[in-house]
Amino acid sequence: MQLTRRAVLAVPALIPFAARAAGPVFAGVSGPLTGPNAQYGAQWKRGFDLALDGINGAGGVKGRPLQYIFEDSQSDPRQSVAVAQKFVADPRVVIELGDFSSPASMAASPIYQRAKLVQFGFTNSHPDFTKGGDHMWSNSTSQAEEQPKLYDFAAALGFKRPAVLHLNTDWGRTAKDAFVAAAKTGGAAVAAVEAYLGTEQDFRPTLVRVRDSNPDGLVLLSYYADGALICRQARDTGIKLPVLAGTSNYSPKFLELGGPGVEDVFVMTTFFPADPRPEVQDFVKRYRAKSGTDPDSFSAGAYDTMVLWAKLVEGWGPTREGMQAGLLEIKDVPSVIYGAATFDPRTRRVQGASYKRLVVQKGQFTLWDGNRPT
Amino acid sequence: MGAWLDYTINGLIVGNIYALLAVGLALIFGVSHLINFAQGSIYTAGAFIGWTCAQRLGTPLPVTMAAVVLGCAALGVVIERVGLRPLAGSARIAPLLATIGISFVLDQGLQLLYSPDPRSLPSPLPAWRIQVGRGTIGALDILIAATGLVSAAVLFGFLRFSRLGWAVRATAQDSEAARQMGVNTDAVNRTVFAIAAGLGGLSGLLVGMYYNHIDTAMSFQATLKGVVAQVIGGMGNVPGAIAGSLLLGLTESYGVALFGSSYRNLFAFVLLLIVLVLRPNGLFAGRQAMSPEPLTGTFIAPSRPWDVPRWAVAVCVLLAALLPFLPNSAYALQVLTNAWLYALLAISLTLVAGTLGQVSLGHAGLLLIGAYASALLALDSGLPVWLSIPAAGFVTAALGTALTWPAFRLRSHYVSIATLGIGEIVGLVILNWESLTHGPMGVTGVPPLTAGTVELDSPQASYWVALAVLVLLGLMQSRLLGTHLGRTFRAIRDDDVAARACGVSLDRYKGLAFAVSGFAAGISGAISAHLYSYINNETFTSQVSVLALTMVILGGMGNVLGAVIGAVALTGLPEVFRFTAEYRQLIYGLVLLLMIRFRPQGILGTA
Amino acid sequence: MTQPLLSVRGLQRRFGGITAVKGANLDLCEGELLSVIGPNGAGKTTLFNLISGHDRPDGGTVRFGGVEVTGSTPERLAALGLARTFQHGRVFANLTVRDNVLMGTHSRMKLARPGPPLLGALRELFLALIRPPGVRAEEQALRREVEDILHLFGDRLIPRLDRPAYSLSYANRRRLEIARALALRPRLLMLDEPTAGMNETETAEMRTIIGQLKARGQTILLIEHKLDLVMQLSDRVIAMDDGAEIAAGTPAAVRHDPAVVEAYLGHRHMGGEQTPDAVALEASP
Repeated sequence: MQLTRRAVLAVPALIPFAARAAGPVFAGVSGPLTGPNAQYGAQWKRGFDLALDGINGAGGVKGRPLQYIFEDSQSDPRQSVAVAQKFVADPRVVIELGDFSSPASMAASPIYQRAKLVQFGFTNSHPDFTKGGDHMWSNSTSQAEEQPKLYDFAAALGFKRPAVLHLNTDWGRTAKDAFVAAAKTGGAAVAAVEAYLGTEQDFRPTLVRVRDSNPDGLVLLSYYADGALICRQARDTGIKLPVLAGTSNYSPKFLELGGPGVEDVFVMTTFFPADPRPEVQDFVKRYRAKSGTDPDSFSAGAYDTMVLWAKLVEGWGPTREGMQAGLLEIKDVPSVIYGAATFDPRTRRVQGASYKRLVVQKGQFTLWDGNRPT
Repeated sequence: MGAWLDYTINGLIVGNIYALLAVGLALIFGVSHLINFAQGSIYTAGAFIGWTCAQRLGTPLPVTMAAVVLGCAALGVVIERVGLRPLAGSARIAPLLATIGISFVLDQGLQLLYSPDPRSLPSPLPAWRIQVGRGTIGALDILIAATGLVSAAVLFGFLRFSRLGWAVRATAQDSEAARQMGVNTDAVNRTVFAIAAGLGGLSGLLVGMYYNHIDTAMSFQATLKGVVAQVIGGMGNVPGAIAGSLLLGLTESYGVALFGSSYRNLFAFVLLLIVLVLRPNGLFAGRQAMSPEPLTGTFIAPSRPWDVPRWAVAVCVLLAALLPFLPNSAYALQVLTNAWLYALLAISLTLVAGTLGQVSLGHAGLLLIGAYASALLALDSGLPVWLSIPAAGFVTAALGTALTWPAFRLRSHYVSIATLGIGEIVGLVILNWESLTHGPMGVTGVPPLTAGTVELDSPQASYWVALAVLVLLGLMQSRLLGTHLGRTFRAIRDDDVAARACGVSLDRYKGLAFAVSGFAAGISGAISAHLYSYINNETFTSQVSVLALTMVILGGMGNVLGAVIGAVALTGLPEVFRFTAEYRQLIYGLVLLLMIRFRPQGILGTA
Repeated sequence: MTQPLLSVRGLQRRFGGITAVKGANLDLCEGELLSVIGPNGAGKTTLFNLISGHDRPDGGTVRFGGVEVTGSTPERLAALGLARTFQHGRVFANLTVRDNVLMGTHSRMKLARPGPPLLGALRELFLALIRPPGVRAEEQALRREVEDILHLFGDRLIPRLDRPAYSLSYANRRRLEIARALALRPRLLMLDEPTAGMNETETAEMRTIIGQLKARGQTILLIEHKLDLVMQLSDRVIAMDDGAEIAAGTPAAVRHDPAVVEAYLGHRHMGGEQTPDAVALEASP
């Protein structure tokens, strides 16, 4: 049994590099194209395609174009493991990107780890994701780093008794714990913590409960769709408190779905289109030209990931071993989210994202001028 | 005190929204005794038709509403004609599956047409708001309430005073008799579907405007809440559906008030169970005497199963066992491992749904119990994996039977809804019982499959383990079905009144069937947990329960081999259609519909 | 006088505002055949359901075999030796003829005995899985007995042993239901309109069969509309109308009782279904 397995897994390694000719280099993407999370898969594609347009338009990497194979997993662990076997057995695939949700990503991790194929989970913030093995990497912002920054923003807004609403998933929970810890260190008293389900649309009773805990501000650890709903309904339930929303709320959709309800809402973001850095401006300009809308943090993350992959292929060669070696060594990759991304070889995550403080004014995200809400 | 007023208002507002969903479901159930799983998809379609009119064509609200109602009514007529009427002669379970297939096709079609991105659907109504308590209500709240009440009143008038309405009521009471009295029952069904779909679409539009949010993934939740609301009110009872919806909204709102928002759905489903246990036919249904005719006998198709010879089964098993020796088969093995694990779930479900006639929609809950039991026993209690998996089987058998106990006294569709609620409750308890289950963080680092000191984590090894367990439990179940137990289970399915007259204690045999079923499902969940290394409360959702039921119906109710074939087909098809990328779910739905159309009693037939 | 096998006192059942059974009384001794007649809606079937445990009375008592069984479950009554058929027929549609009759033996199986709550059931499951010789022998014996019972119906059912019940004719389903009830080896057999929907030949055949059962000493409680059959077979007859007993006694006495004639005629004018019986009653000397 063991022998058979080795024989099967050894196949890709046995094919010499030269024999693979100068065709395209492939990345495997495992993510949701159908099912309830399909919208995130669609955003990934936009980010990927934009990055590849740039890379391949400039002649690819050392003359070889980059391509990705997107296999739909519906973010379902049963399908993501099958996709993993497919990628592992496909000698063309040098790196795997995704999956979207933690159950789907982490179920596939053992398969990638055994095959020594890098699993790059660029949305996987679950603190244990990169503990699945030394081939699990992520450039998703670490909540341990992000939430103290969000608290700093809250403190700057004068929140002393914030109420926290968070999505009741591994991501929301990690974020909430980190925020509450930062608040404690910073001397603020968290007035209320409310966890809600991702399928929830009606937040009015939750908001009444939050209101009655007498907070001086709301902190939303939500995705943009829920965030927009909460802001609208907060207005309807008569809450006039300032609202601060975490980075995953940054999206043009937040403005569209929130309408007048998100006016004056404060948003922290890692990615901001008005950032003057040339790589950001280039990304935003091309994204607008192609999609007609502003990019959000999901497509920015996908874009960054493709750029990183190109650097890895360029510096360490289009092989599975090259990807792993490159991630251990690569430094200061240009990134629209991080400025320059460098991986910590122990946690296999990126440190040092740059955060912007925004406020919604007249239906647009604008940089916060530093004035406290009245 | 002021806050309670706010909670009450908020409960009524959301109850109002549920009411729109529930009324359409109640109408269809009242006439065709069918839970229309496609109702949520019609709701979504209505929202998108409305979006197209309002945002693209710039129509004013009354025109938008009319377009949505007409468009969705037409959709309802098409669904009735294409999806359901051809199944009129077959057992009721086939149309149920057809509505599931239709909802697949509709959702995916919409997703392809409109992209999966959420969209805003701003309300064109004036922005004035009235202060009530410390919160406010707006024009849209009033429009939604008015729509619910007016449509209920119009329906009432239609059913009571128009000739077609009489025909609808006559068909609802006894469609056979109505047909013999010259009622055109096809026309009645068409009318009912048109009305229900029109209402469903309208609710999609209004709710979409209320939240300023529509997306193509909102169907299932809409169906779920609508079904719960109408069951609380009494299935097929239109005024009851409205009352049930308001009660559901209030319960959720007060539940949040008392325990916080993470307990919200827990409250909703516990309310559902309490109502079902105390008033098995819903709060507002009249008390029923003994069922006038054997209900279940007509629910399951009378058909003679195809007898597959034993040697053929043995050859198939042998071939399956030899498959890992093919080179480069890791992907196929993984897909088939999934298929075997689903097949374990399907034989578990086919025992209770097919053989015993208790159509459970809560089997995902059993998978979760099995997965968590084995993972936690292995991690926290240090039990070796080869012991923790069977232990999880026994835990699931015991816990699953105990949890389903309240549903034992229920009949036909009520069993399905109660078990759906129980499945959801299991997931929500796991999410909230942090000290035991690690809550939303899930369980990480679940050890891989091992036998003694040999790690069985290669694709080949996991494949053989799953196959061996499936063959073992499949043989065990077939053996049981050949004894007096199989006979007794089937007798309960065909006519529980007559079974009791023969001296059969329903509780005892339902308990036994659910225990055997829970064991297999628990083992399936446990093996999955060790294969995935990470599980959380969303690893198995109610959609898995629906998929499992689809497998069971497709294979032939109660048919062990059929369940395996159904599982292989429905696990394999989406993989086969992988090359079609975004279209694969659509094609899958269409294939499913074709299968139901041409073999409504399942591939191998009811056993 | 020996104690009656079945003894009903003051049995009552109300549905909403309607009282379906108003204080019914009856006694049935071993070996006796007692018929209950009356127009549709008289409460006969409700009375049956109350006795067999399928419905719970609002008042009154039922004693069976010297034990008080008021409000007992049907399964307990079956275990005590009470078997019944149903007015519209309730066979197990997807079970074969053989399995239908085998279901009748359920309460006699050693395996299916209640035992301690949870453990009894688990023991049953375990024994069903391993099938020790004793269990197999019992099943074989019961299967032979099924054929013996079916021989009572000549060649009506025996050739169809392995056919599913849904494929049977209406009359055969009625026969099958009686066979299933007999498989319980009942101390009391309750037949609810066993000849409903049968033609004359079939009815005559059924009369012979019931006569044979009676001759074997089987105690029978019968609901029947076909008065010829009732008159020929019954030891005693009870007539009911509007939930109450209106006459009781020998077949001849009940037949001529003015209240009975009135009940049937009155209902005829209201358009009841039992007109032919009422006409038959009038025409009889």
